Amino acid sequence: MKHSFIDRYAALDSPLHLLDARTKLLGFTVLIGAVLLVPPGKPFAFFAYFFLTAALMGISQVPLTFVVARTLVILPFVLLAGLALPWRTGDGWTLFSTLLLRSTLSLILLILLTNTTRFAELLRGLRKLGCPRILAMNLGFLYRYLFVLTEEVMRMRQARDCRRVGSARPRAEMKLLGSMLGTLLLRSFERAERMYQAMLSRGSSGDFPILAPRRFSWRDPAFLAGLGLFIWMAEFLT
Amino acid sequence: MTEYAVRITRLQYTYPDGTKALEGIDLDVRTGERVALVGPSGAGKSTLLLHLNGVLTGAGTVRILGKALDGGDLREIRRQVGMVFQDPNDQLFCPTVFEDVAFGPLNLGIPQGEIPARVDKALRDVGLEQSMRYRSSHHLSLGERKRAAFAAVLVMEPAILALDEPTGNLDPRNRRHLIELVGGLPATLLLATHDLEMALSLCQRLVVMDRGKIWADGDARALLSDSRLMEEHGLEVPLSLRGH
Repeated sequence: MKHSFIDRYAALDSPLHLLDARTKLLGFTVLIGAVLLVPPGKPFAFFAYFFLTAALMGISQVPLTFVVARTLVILPFVLLAGLALPWRTGDGWTLFSTLLLRSTLSLILLILLTNTTRFAELLRGLRKLGCPRILAMNLGFLYRYLFVLTEEVMRMRQARDCRRVGSARPRAEMKLLGSMLGTLLLRSFERAERMYQAMLSRGSSGDFPILAPRRFSWRDPAFLAGLGLFIWMAEFLT
Repeated sequence: MTEYAVRITRLQYTYPDGTKALEGIDLDVRTGERVALVGPSGAGKSTLLLHLNGVLTGAGTVRILGKALDGGDLREIRRQVGMVFQDPNDQLFCPTVFEDVAFGPLNLGIPQGEIPARVDKALRDVGLEQSMRYRSSHHLSLGERKRAAFAAVLVMEPAILALDEPTGNLDPRNRRHLIELVGGLPATLLLATHDLEMALSLCQRLVVMDRGKIWADGDARALLSDSRLMEEHGLEVPLSLRGH
């Protein structure tokens, strides 16, 4: 089965990829915050952030088609959320376009963050920035086992389809879906037990020790300083 | 060196739902010996293996390399007993292959400076390319995952290897690679398997388990050739031992 990984291009070797995960987490979070705080009716600020995002995308070497395709997957949900805005009197269209611009830029930045940093490094960065161990561990397990669960769901669906001709009534379909979800839950529970046994077998006491390969370099403060300067200029000069 | 790698006396285990998995198991395994545990599904093979490093604890005594499991030296025992699980997805839970292989040594307090070299050696030993170091295990094929799970255990340099269905779901080529790999390891081996041909090629001694008990224990070739014994316990004489 072919999976769609969120860190598909994280193994590239661009200057953005070389930065420490903590730097990128901090930098991109601040940048996304700045984009979200741009007030409506400030097109030059959006233009400045759009320029910066395009520059980061160019530096990152993540293909434009990939970023656009990913953004288009999520954007309809944003459009749905803001559907009623244009019908508001007065500033409806301004609010709608602001929502659209903020969401698009934030999504592109998130896609860049996850595709310039391996998921493992992101988790490590989160831990070092003070994220609770249990949360980082659960995020790691979620990402690792999401694919295993997806495969299990696909196999269950195939097994269902092999034994069914035509479409079932909605009520029967719901009943079947319920039992499939129940089975999935039980299987996940059993897998969690086996995983825990495997962890114990290798000497785990519940902690996740870390072997950190990447360290801070001169690039990291330079990147953060540059980003800070740009945000300051975008806020006060536009 | 201790004469016996594993000494199990009157081991009993009942699962929380009341299922009796092991009933009065007595088993001694000498250091360097290779023992195959065979029997139908639900015979108690996997449950027995999980007792070797204290993941499950039943009534009775289990001594590993002379140390009792309840003696408080569980950390050292887990370093000595390398457990390879049936489904590599259960065993590979870290974001990358490197971290998965490094997980055991990090937990066992091996100095951080030594770990990358040990991980590289373990990956080399199981035939995984260095390029797979930072790949996520869900990027790997099943055969590669099995090898990575092996590497995750071999890196701890265990004295005893406990393998649970290592060839399950493997294609013939990967199965052969795995048998060659295990065959070349110096560790004491306990192998729970349905693959009787593999049991025959790797182990001199065979233990037949069924319904939580040991029914036969002896020379692998002799027991596997006993068609009556095999049939009584839901097994079959391997093709290579059948008369033509």
